[in-house]
Amino acid sequence: MEHIKNDILDYLKDSSFMDANIGLKDNDSLTQNGIMDSIGLLELMDYICEQYSIEIPEDMLTPENFDSLQGITDLIVKLAK
Amino acid sequence: MPIMDMQLMDTQIMDKLNGDIEKLAMELRGFIKDHVVGFKKKGVVIGVSGGVDSAVTLTLSVQELGKDNVYGLLLPEKESAPSSKTLGAEICENLGVSYEEVPISPILESLDIYEKKDQIIKRTCPEYDPEIHKTSLVLPDFLNQGLLNVPYIKLIKDGESVGKYRLKANDYLELIGLQNVKQRSRMIVQYMYAEKMNYAVCGTTNKTEMVLGQFVKYGDGGVDIEPLADCYKTRVYALAKYLNVNEEIIRRPPSADTWSHYTSDEDFYWRMPIHVMDQLLYGQEHQLPLEVIEKNTGLSGETILKAQRHIDRIKDTTEYVRVAAPICSLDS
Repeated sequence: MEHIKNDILDYLKDSSFMDANIGLKDNDSLTQNGIMDSIGLLELMDYICEQYSIEIPEDMLTPENFDSLQGITDLIVKLAK
Repeated sequence: MPIMDMQLMDTQIMDKLNGDIEKLAMELRGFIKDHVVGFKKKGVVIGVSGGVDSAVTLTLSVQELGKDNVYGLLLPEKESAPSSKTLGAEICENLGVSYEEVPISPILESLDIYEKKDQIIKRTCPEYDPEIHKTSLVLPDFLNQGLLNVPYIKLIKDGESVGKYRLKANDYLELIGLQNVKQRSRMIVQYMYAEKMNYAVCGTTNKTEMVLGQFVKYGDGGVDIEPLADCYKTRVYALAKYLNVNEEIIRRPPSADTWSHYTSDEDFYWRMPIHVMDQLLYGQEHQLPLEVIEKNTGLSGETILKAQRHIDRIKDTTEYVRVAAPICSLDS
């Protein structure tokens, strides 16, 4: 699980509006902290699907699953099983 | 409880949105006249879409400026609903306004817009056949499912939905760029006529659209005046009733009308009924307590908070659409 979290964190540092010098806690909101907007979210979904060879069912496209590092990591773990 | 607080708690949002319509119509007519005169123009050009916003704008303009100083433009393209043209022509004729139909399909064809759009749909939806499928861009319902703003292409055959595919980010961005050429082409044509006639271009964007960034920058947002931009859509409907706009126009589901399958704004933009969206926006604007919004909308506090966060995300994403190009002001 930890390597997935680190991978997503690296992705956010490279591809989002996240300030790489500021620490991100596991449950910090990505939207409320200005790290991710709706387009960034679509790009993240594409990255997850490609990187982990998974499809995300429509009913899992909830703010809870995508608004924090922990939520995203849990989702990938669940779908990659 | 102080009287002010009690009044706040009793706020009936729909009454506020539907109230004082006669006074509002007068104020809007005055606004149109003041700005047309202020810009030293002789009248207005209006793009008439067959929708309620342009019908209200056209009616108010005719009432204030006279039918001889208003010019209607019907600007259909290959994917427009046929009713857009017939309802647009009908309201111009009923008001005695001169109008002209200028199809924008040749502009779009010259830029390969339809072909490029088809290519995106084909790579997103493997079974897509332009001969048999109509298409539409939709977002999941928000109020019942609380899902994120994730766009899907829907395939429709013989009026029935036969497939739905999530768009990739790059394809979505390209598609929006292609689709927006439609509104931007209309803007070019409107200015071509307005400048020839020494008229101003009168916009039809309402406040719901303005707040949510639901218009195309330098497209339908590229105009000289915006009379309706401080009136929520619900208020535009109240104006339409007051002005006796054709019932068929009032009943027609609002739409940008840019997909071969008629896609309502409720399916793509608001993701909830317009009266709910407007009450939420009004509640946010006037900082109404949560319990007042609960009482007005019938929604739970939890759903309202989720919806408000959803609205905030939309506002955040569309901020750049609303702002004029920032200027680097120099001191000297």
